[in-house]
Amino acid sequence: MAIYLDCNATTPVEPSVRAVVMRFLEKDFGNAASPIHDYGVFALAAVEHARGQVAEVVKARRDEVVFTSGATESNNMAILGLAEEGIRSGRRHLITTAIEHKAVLEPCEEMARLGFEVQILPVGADGRFEPQRLADALRPDTLMVSTMQVNNETGVLQPLTEVAEILANRDIWWHVDAAQGFGKEFEQIRHPRIDLTSISGHKIYGPKGVGALVARKQDRQFPPLRPLMFGGGQEQGLRPGTLPVHIIAGLGEAAKLAVRNNCERTEKCRAFRAQALAAFSALGAQRNGAENYTLPHVLNVSLPGINSDLAIKALKNVIAISSTSACTSHTHTPSHVLAAMGVSPEKVEQSIRLSWCHMTPSVDWSEVENILRSLRR
Amino acid sequence: MIDIFKELEEVTVEQYEHQDLPKWLADPVLKVARSPELYQGKEYLVEILAAQVREYDVYAEAGCCKWAYDHEDIKRTLRWLEE
Repeated sequence: MAIYLDCNATTPVEPSVRAVVMRFLEKDFGNAASPIHDYGVFALAAVEHARGQVAEVVKARRDEVVFTSGATESNNMAILGLAEEGIRSGRRHLITTAIEHKAVLEPCEEMARLGFEVQILPVGADGRFEPQRLADALRPDTLMVSTMQVNNETGVLQPLTEVAEILANRDIWWHVDAAQGFGKEFEQIRHPRIDLTSISGHKIYGPKGVGALVARKQDRQFPPLRPLMFGGGQEQGLRPGTLPVHIIAGLGEAAKLAVRNNCERTEKCRAFRAQALAAFSALGAQRNGAENYTLPHVLNVSLPGINSDLAIKALKNVIAISSTSACTSHTHTPSHVLAAMGVSPEKVEQSIRLSWCHMTPSVDWSEVENILRSLRR
Repeated sequence: MIDIFKELEEVTVEQYEHQDLPKWLADPVLKVARSPELYQGKEYLVEILAAQVREYDVYAEAGCCKWAYDHEDIKRTLRWLEE
C-alpha cells in the first residue's frame, strides 16, 4: 500500500477514538434523548462529556457547542441560518474570501440568490487575504463576515487576530470555517470575538459524519440562527434528529487528544515536513503559499515540467496524494484557491498537495524523486 | 500520558477545599481517584467523573437549562463505576 499523504482530505482514526466509537455502537447504544433509564442516561452523559471536550479546544462553553454532521453542515447552518436575521434587520451584505471551501462559497451563492450581496475578498500570492481590504469592505448593512482559519489546499493560516481587531465593537456576525485548523492551531481560533466556528471530526483523527458549530453566546444569547431542519428540538432547537452518540463520543475523544498531544504531533509533522521539503526542493518545486504561515502538516508545490495528474498516477504505489481539495478533486476543476493566489494556469496544472500527520510512516523520498524525475524525460 | 486518576484527585481536592463540593460527595470520588488499580479499564467513566466534578454546581438544576453537573450526576457515575 502507498503511504497516505492526503490527511487534509481525511485523517486516519486514532485507536482510542475507534475504541470509544465501538463502545457506543455495540454495548452502550442508548438514545441520549431517552434519559429515562441507564442506557439513555449514559448516552446523554457521553454526549455532554464530548460537548465539553470539543468546547475546550476553542475555550468555549459546553452549551455553545451544537453537534452537526460535519463542517459542511455547520457552514450552511452559520451562513444560511442568519438569512432571516439579515432580512429582519435590513442588513443584506456578506463578506467572504476567494479561497474559502465550496461549503462556504456555495451557501454564500444561495444567500445571493435570496437577495443578499456577497462581496468576495481577493488574496495575495502568499495565500492570505489582506485584513485592510476587509476593513475597507465593511458597511453599515454588513450582516456577516465568513473567513476560514486555515486553507485546505495550501495549509496557510489566515489573519484571524487582525480580523478580530477590525470587528471589535462592530455589530457584525463573524463565522470561521475551522475545518482544517481546529485542533491544530489553537491561538487564533480561541479568540472570543469569533461568533461561529465550524469544525469537523474526520480532520482530527475522529469519525466521519460528525462535526459541530460552536456558537458563542453574547449576553447569554445565541447568535440569531434559524434552524435549517425541523422536527425534534435536539441541540437547542438548532439541529433536530437523534444524536449519533457513538461518533459524537468519538469526536470528543479526538478533541481531547488534539489538546493533550498537540506538541508531540506538531513536532512529528515538522520533522516530516523538513524531509518532504528537501525532496521537492531538489526537484525544483515551487511552494504555493507563504512558508511562515503554513501549518507543519501541509505542503502544496508546483513541479515544473510535470503535470499533476501524471505525477499522482506515477506515484500511486508509493504515496497517495492529491492535486486539490477532496471535494473538488473528483470534478477535475482547476484549483480556485491557487487561481485566486495568482498562480498561473500552467503552474496550477503542475500543483500537488501533500498532507500528513503524526501517524504517517516514513516515506522513501529518493524513490519519489526518481519517479518524478523520470516524468520529465 | 496524563494520569486521569491524578487529574480526578486534583480537581476533587480543588472543588472540595475551594468550591462547593460537599465532603460526603468528595470522599467517595477521592476513593476512586486513589485506587486506580480497582478501576482499570474504566478510564472513560473516570474521565466523565472528573469533568462532572470540575463543573459541579449545587444549583445545576436551577433555571431553565441544566448546563452544570450536580450531586445526582456524580452519584450516578460513581454507581456506574462500581457495576
